[in-house]
Amino acid sequence: MLNNDIALGVLGISHKTASVEIRELVSLNEEEQKNIIHQVTHDFKVNNIEVDGILILSTCNRTEFYISAEHIDIILPAIRQLLVTYKQCPYYNDQNITYEKFGMEAARHFFNVICGIDSQIVGEMQITGQVKDCYNFAHHLDATDAVLNKLYNFGMQVKKRVRNETFLSDGTVSVSFAGVELARKIFSDLADKRILLVGAGKTAELAAVHFLENNVKAINVANRTLSKAQELAEKFGGVSYTLEDLDTALVEADIVISATSSDDYVITRSMMADITRKKYYESIFLIDLAIPRDIDPKIESLNNVYLYNLDDLNGIVEKNLEKRRMEIPSANKIIDEFMVEFQKWINTNTMASVVSKLKSHLETLSNNEMSRIRKQFPENGYQKEIENYTQNIINKLVRQHMKSLKKNAGDPEKYKQHIELIYNLYEIDKE
Amino acid sequence: MKEISQFISYILPLLYLGVIYVYYVLFTGKKKSWINKTTLILGILLIIHGFEIGLRHAVLKTIPFSTVHDALSFLGFSILFVYMIIELRLKNRGSGIFVLFFAFILEVVSTFNLSWEPETNELLSSPTFAIHAAFTIMGYTAMSLSALYAIMYIIQNHNLKKRNLGKLFTQLPALNYLEKMSIQSAFMGIVLLGIGLLMGHVQAEAIMGEFWPKDVKVIAADIAWALYLIGYIIAQFLRLHGKKMAYLSIAGYFILVVGGFLIANLAETFHEFN
Repeated sequence: MLNNDIALGVLGISHKTASVEIRELVSLNEEEQKNIIHQVTHDFKVNNIEVDGILILSTCNRTEFYISAEHIDIILPAIRQLLVTYKQCPYYNDQNITYEKFGMEAARHFFNVICGIDSQIVGEMQITGQVKDCYNFAHHLDATDAVLNKLYNFGMQVKKRVRNETFLSDGTVSVSFAGVELARKIFSDLADKRILLVGAGKTAELAAVHFLENNVKAINVANRTLSKAQELAEKFGGVSYTLEDLDTALVEADIVISATSSDDYVITRSMMADITRKKYYESIFLIDLAIPRDIDPKIESLNNVYLYNLDDLNGIVEKNLEKRRMEIPSANKIIDEFMVEFQKWINTNTMASVVSKLKSHLETLSNNEMSRIRKQFPENGYQKEIENYTQNIINKLVRQHMKSLKKNAGDPEKYKQHIELIYNLYEIDKE
Repeated sequence: MKEISQFISYILPLLYLGVIYVYYVLFTGKKKSWINKTTLILGILLIIHGFEIGLRHAVLKTIPFSTVHDALSFLGFSILFVYMIIELRLKNRGSGIFVLFFAFILEVVSTFNLSWEPETNELLSSPTFAIHAAFTIMGYTAMSLSALYAIMYIIQNHNLKKRNLGKLFTQLPALNYLEKMSIQSAFMGIVLLGIGLLMGHVQAEAIMGEFWPKDVKVIAADIAWALYLIGYIIAQFLRLHGKKMAYLSIAGYFILVVGGFLIANLAETFHEFN
């Protein structure tokens, strides 16, 4: 059982609760984040309660505020109000599109976010960098306290273990990347491979960009209109062809991406059979992104020719997403381990604070009594000894409480009861 | 010493099986965290196996190829060694389960043929024999790997063609890598086995006074090697690629190994293991 009664909370809006239009309206740019952090950490007080730390994570899929403060349940509504006023939009007050989580649930949410479990595309890795940036930003503004520092620290450890021990982020989840991944399964290294784009439209261009990132040797373009082919080929530093010269272009290519608007097949089986002979049966990978299709599916029967169309690539993406989803329970097991560790750290941190307050309280009592004794018995020669004995009694009492707190650290309920007991028994001020 | 050596000989197949289990777990994607431990595991197995070979021959005073047990054990050891280098170089563990399973089979057969006789045959104690046997076994190792990579090529090609893009597809290396490995291993096999056979002839001339002894196994081995070489040259000349090359490699291996095995067991020959 984990304790949700810790000074941590999250307020957020994400792709799970709001449309992109709303997410755009509530997102905060760097300047806005800076202003909010400044306001919250400097001039912000609710019933005399201050905010100890704040992290703002604002991406295209989520805007979240991780707050560290005593009585977080009182602080969060005030933060909502501040945001409504600042952004001049009511969404932060809308319970249907915002969510609040407290204590360990907030910590779990943070771990889910940093690992990509809560992402729109499960397991995506971009979020880790975004969390890192948001933490560095807040830390630089001196807006993070011990709780948020530790939360981030544990978060990075969780992420590392989830990446190393599960397949949550494995397998490509974009159609263009699926093409690149398949090409790697045929050619292994793409550095000496030549790409041919058949068609000079946006689809072919976008697909080619991913291959360009993999340092392919050349990207050539074949198109019905030569000027368009030239324009695109220039962008990639390649050679341009008209469709009349497609045979020549195909002989030169290892990977072909076809995306024309032609109603008929642009690459036929007989054409390809001739090409494979000319290429001495070296492997060739064809990606047909066009609808209707550009490449005759009968080509598939040729040796060393691999043809994939849009449906095939979508199928790969779907399968990979499914595989990632199936890894969530394994990732959750790792998160559970860190939740326990974080709870232990919180307990130790709380214990240090309680013990320090208790000791200081008992020492004040002792000092008061000693002053009284000095006044009542000014001639007494044992004052020093009495002082030492009193200090010993204080130390023994504090040690006994520490021992008992440590014993109950694994049981949050008992631990909480013991803390309450100390505060009530000695009438220590919690603040 | 004898007890230690024999004990290790008996547990080696189990250790190979244990390592195959590790690769099976990785292959099926059950434990990602084991990925970085395979090289260490392979290294430990290699040391234990090497120790067994060394100990056995230190005690029996023989070179490690004179019995069925020794030859197969050394072949398994060589495959393990070559595979470890490939894994280290290419950081790909996908072929491990296949290659190690082959080494495991050799190790099992080797253990069932375990003998404990000091070497007395003068022919088998000769240093020329050691070179002949070592090169021959290394040649067979390379050709075995060539055939294994060719099989993996055919499987991966089938996966790509039929869109079987599951675990097997994910774990197996890229097609052109498998093809390259198969062709390179075949070339290495031809060279190493060629040297091995040549050294065998040199030894035959020195001991029996005949460079080409009229022995069915020797003749068959020479012909099989020559056929393998001719097949390789023709394939290179015709620039054969992909599936055709893979089938050729497997066919060549079968002619060489299965043919050689049948002749060795069915025909009368001076060229036998102890």
